[in-house]
Amino acid sequence: MSGAVLFASADALLVVAVILPLFAVPVLFLAPSRIAERATVVVLGLSLLVALAIAGGVGRSGAAAASFIGGWRPPLGVGLRADGFSAFMLVMTAAVLLATGLFAMTTPGRSRAGGERMPPAFWMLLASVFSALNLVFLAEDLFTLYVALELLTFAAVPLVCLEGKLAQVEAALRYLLFALFGSLLYLLGVVVIYGLYGTLDIILVAREATASPGFVLALALMTAGMMAKAALFPLHLWLPPAHSGAPPAASALLSAVVIKAPIFLLVRFWLDLAPSTLAVAVAPMLAGLGAAAIVVCSLVALAQPRLKLLIAYSTAAQIGYLFLMFPLAAASSPWSALAWTGGALHLASHAFSKAAMFMAAGLIAEALGHDRIAGLSGVGRVVPVSLFAFGLGGLSLMGLPPAGGFVAKVMLLSAAVHLGAWWIAAVILLGGLLAGGYVLKVVVLALQRPAEPLVAQPVAHWREWVALALALVAVGFGFVPLEPSHFLFIGRPASWAGMVP
Amino acid sequence: MSAPVLFGLLGAALSAVGVYGLMVGRDALARILAFNLLGGGVFLVFGAVARRGAGAGFAADPVPQALVITGIVVAFSATALAVALLKRLAALRARPGAAPAKVAGAQAEGTKGRVQPGGDA
Amino acid sequence: MAGLSASDLMLLAAVLVPLVLALAAIKPFVRRRVDVLLLVAPLPGLLAAVAVPLGQSVLVVPSPFRLTFALDLPGAVLLGGAALLWLAAGAYAVCYLRSDPARGAFSVWWLLTLAGSFAVFLVADVASFYLAYALVSFSAFGLATHDDTVAARRAGRVYLALTVFGEALLIAAFVMLAASVTEPNPLIRDAVAGLPASPWRGAILALLLVGFGMKMGLFPLHVWMPLAHAVAPVPGSAVLSGIVVKAGLIGLIRFLPAGTPWFDWGAGLLAAGLFTAFYGVAIGLTQRHPKRVLAYSTVSQMGVVAAVLGVGLKTGDATVPVLAAFYGFNHMLLKGAMFLTVGVAAACPRRRLVPVLVVAAVLGLSLAGLPFTGGALAKFAVKEPVGDGLAGLLLALSAVGTTVLMARYVLLLADVGAGATATGGSVAPGLRVPWAVLSAAAVGLPFALFTAVTGTSLALLFSLDTLIKGLWPVALGLGVAALIYQKPPKFVEVPAGDILVAAAPLARLYQHVRDGAVLLDTLLRRWSTAALALVLLALVLGYVMAGVAFPPHSAP
Repeated sequence: MSGAVLFASADALLVVAVILPLFAVPVLFLAPSRIAERATVVVLGLSLLVALAIAGGVGRSGAAAASFIGGWRPPLGVGLRADGFSAFMLVMTAAVLLATGLFAMTTPGRSRAGGERMPPAFWMLLASVFSALNLVFLAEDLFTLYVALELLTFAAVPLVCLEGKLAQVEAALRYLLFALFGSLLYLLGVVVIYGLYGTLDIILVAREATASPGFVLALALMTAGMMAKAALFPLHLWLPPAHSGAPPAASALLSAVVIKAPIFLLVRFWLDLAPSTLAVAVAPMLAGLGAAAIVVCSLVALAQPRLKLLIAYSTAAQIGYLFLMFPLAAASSPWSALAWTGGALHLASHAFSKAAMFMAAGLIAEALGHDRIAGLSGVGRVVPVSLFAFGLGGLSLMGLPPAGGFVAKVMLLSAAVHLGAWWIAAVILLGGLLAGGYVLKVVVLALQRPAEPLVAQPVAHWREWVALALALVAVGFGFVPLEPSHFLFIGRPASWAGMVP
Repeated sequence: MSAPVLFGLLGAALSAVGVYGLMVGRDALARILAFNLLGGGVFLVFGAVARRGAGAGFAADPVPQALVITGIVVAFSATALAVALLKRLAALRARPGAAPAKVAGAQAEGTKGRVQPGGDA
Repeated sequence: MAGLSASDLMLLAAVLVPLVLALAAIKPFVRRRVDVLLLVAPLPGLLAAVAVPLGQSVLVVPSPFRLTFALDLPGAVLLGGAALLWLAAGAYAVCYLRSDPARGAFSVWWLLTLAGSFAVFLVADVASFYLAYALVSFSAFGLATHDDTVAARRAGRVYLALTVFGEALLIAAFVMLAASVTEPNPLIRDAVAGLPASPWRGAILALLLVGFGMKMGLFPLHVWMPLAHAVAPVPGSAVLSGIVVKAGLIGLIRFLPAGTPWFDWGAGLLAAGLFTAFYGVAIGLTQRHPKRVLAYSTVSQMGVVAAVLGVGLKTGDATVPVLAAFYGFNHMLLKGAMFLTVGVAAACPRRRLVPVLVVAAVLGLSLAGLPFTGGALAKFAVKEPVGDGLAGLLLALSAVGTTVLMARYVLLLADVGAGATATGGSVAPGLRVPWAVLSAAAVGLPFALFTAVTGTSLALLFSLDTLIKGLWPVALGLGVAALIYQKPPKFVEVPAGDILVAAAPLARLYQHVRDGAVLLDTLLRRWSTAALALVLLALVLGYVMAGVAFPPHSAP
């Protein structure tokens, strides 16, 4: 198939993007596990190609790709739609999930080192998470989004307790219940919107929406529900135990991409759906919570005795940056586009760096048999590649060049400075300092000479290189130009047209 | 008071009870039940909302009916998953050598999530 | 990339070659050839400094990235000096670390720091400067903490904390600075040109001064310097004290607007610099290890440079940055040579100690500005813009202090040599030769550069008036030193890092804040609290929106 044909049919590929990952599931039931996991990885690879093809199609046509199931258009039918932002998320997710699959695969070749085989359930859940995420990014219908979010939760929760330990099951149950609480608040908001407008299509609703009492109520409920699912401070109760207790591959997946789905929807709601007067009013509150997340969760991360918990708290903190973006992006100034690009870039570079860091932490724990930070002295000699991956990922979190986090930070800072949002600039800088604290604390320890020789298990080099590759992608984001991205604005509502340079 | 308004109010009341239950529920089972109450309330409101089709000249709007059915399936699956986890948790806690069982109604709080202040000397 | 001239390639090679070598050192067989790595890496930089015509500029990656390399006079002077010191210290390190099992790791840090230090002198756009600055700052951590002792770990922590803090200040300054220009990544020159008109010029200037001042060791941000410079291996100390601190100097040279008088800030920088110059001497005198004396001397000398730059800022004298760079060049080589001397003295058999001490004394006197040494030229060069007023007098008095401090250094060196248990006939040639060459270059090279840099004839230096002006501080300093050191002095040694003890309350405050955050987090992670928070959030969101959507006074 030539590239042109592939790109021309981006519309048709939207359905494929949602369904394709699920093709791995029957294979997993039928084939022996070794073959099945390879088949899953192949499917993940194909899905990445599909995502790239969609992004290519969107980029070439300069317009959103859309597909209506059964040819029924909204309000009666259900639409799938990929604008620039969706396509960006699709590609990012596919890349991270492919890397997760490669990381979790039984080590190819002679070495049997590198942990036990992941259970078939892991691969099924991986495929389901993938499909649900793609649906979240593509669905145009608020109820379809509800179903997609629930599918995502149902696939993500068992990932937390794959090993069936007590603490993991507790964490999984807590995650599930809080997420369900959030889902129902969201659904209640959806019901109200249906009652008001008789449609659930985001574009149609956005066209009609006014700041009526009902719509305000609906937005409040939907936003609160998404915040619960995004674990935004102070609703982060479930995140640290869930993300730190899961196996490394699952932690990487949860922290890197699953958590981004509700954030993606919040961006949609506040920048595409809500009238801008409401967005401008609510944005400072969102940013305030984001700032609190950055400060408090970073400080708590500094106090953690265990590496995986440190990284999990770091995720809770980094989520805050995405909320800091809202007042800047909703300000309707030429700098909003830059802030918005910076936010998207932060989202992506955090996804890659955090996945790399969780994988690296998993390998460190595998090598040492524990992940107590106090006992990490000298681990750099045992798993240098993993430590390097951790450090590069941390570089991005700290916002130092040449990592992606740096460019994102500069974009957000520039926008904050130009819009006079000094407190946001201050929080961004403070967050960088605190991230420097918890990242360097680990790296410095790992570089030290151990007091006594370390006894370490060998780990699979294969996995170390996967972690490093992810970290390098995060660094690679540091080489995007410091200006608003055109691609991200493809297919955005007309209100954005004036801001794109 | 017309039937749809009644149903809507009942749904709202049910939702409120569910939210309250989720806030004060002391153990996971209570929270699962509260979740179902809240879900029931939401679906009831949705059903009442379906009457708006009448304004357009239909007898009723069929879309919410379909969505409510879907929603019920989803909520049922969620309940099943939660109950399965809860059963597993109970089995793990009952196992000899497990961490000493917390008081009845213990919160599903991972011991791993606990933080010791100043724990990193 | 077609159309690159030989000069362009030389500029690029100066930075790329060490980076490529660092990358290649991933392979153990490359890492084992420490000698090749350390000796080859600085050569392209040296070549670029000598052979590339000034004003050469090369756009490596076009807009919007605008990665640009350029060579100007201050950059060339500092680059050349740095390359020489890297070369000499590298040769020294090859021998010094011969039996160190971790020398491979050391050489990787070495190469990265080297690449970063060359890059800060060469890059001309804001983003690359930040990258280069971060590279040299963070890589230097590896040099400082190589020995991994308790003291080295502490020094490393303090250094990293201040470095991260400094990076945050600088990025804030750079973002505000770049706001006046439309390009996403402007040239430093263009960005700085907009500084005087910037609405935030005060804030930008403050951030720049504190950020770069930290690297230069201006009081009270000098605390990391005596710690880090004293714990590194000898060649590491030499480049840390000689070169890495110059990243702060080049930062101020590049980012302070030349030619725009700015009285208040200039006077402030002058005062801070002069205070630091005397403070460094005062604390340095109490030190009992020659490396710490040298580190405090660096604090003091960077104070002098900052004072000179302050004068330039105050008066808007556009020639000052070049002169400051020349002073930095002189200090670079001298301080590098003096650190190497410490290692040579420690390895020297007692009977051969005297020549080493003589060299140390000459280096020290040159730093103090004794006529007929290279240091005198540097002092003369910066004396010109400072003038003969109070600032000039204080500058001369700081030279007195430097003389006393250097006397202290030589005496301590004698102790080190006397205490050394070196056996064998002489110092290994691998240590001796680079040291001797560097020392000779340090005293002699300023003569070769003086006219080219300052545009003044050398003959002017040998007028009686100039000689007397250069001689009296040194003579006075020697007299004071003789008085003080008749008996072994009874100074109480100020712990390295001096005012760092004052940071203890800060550390306690941090502990409290962190523990508070942990407590808050524990509370918020209870189900009941979080569920309540969720409901409250929904209510507050609705309330906030309702406040906008239905303002109470909007009813007509």
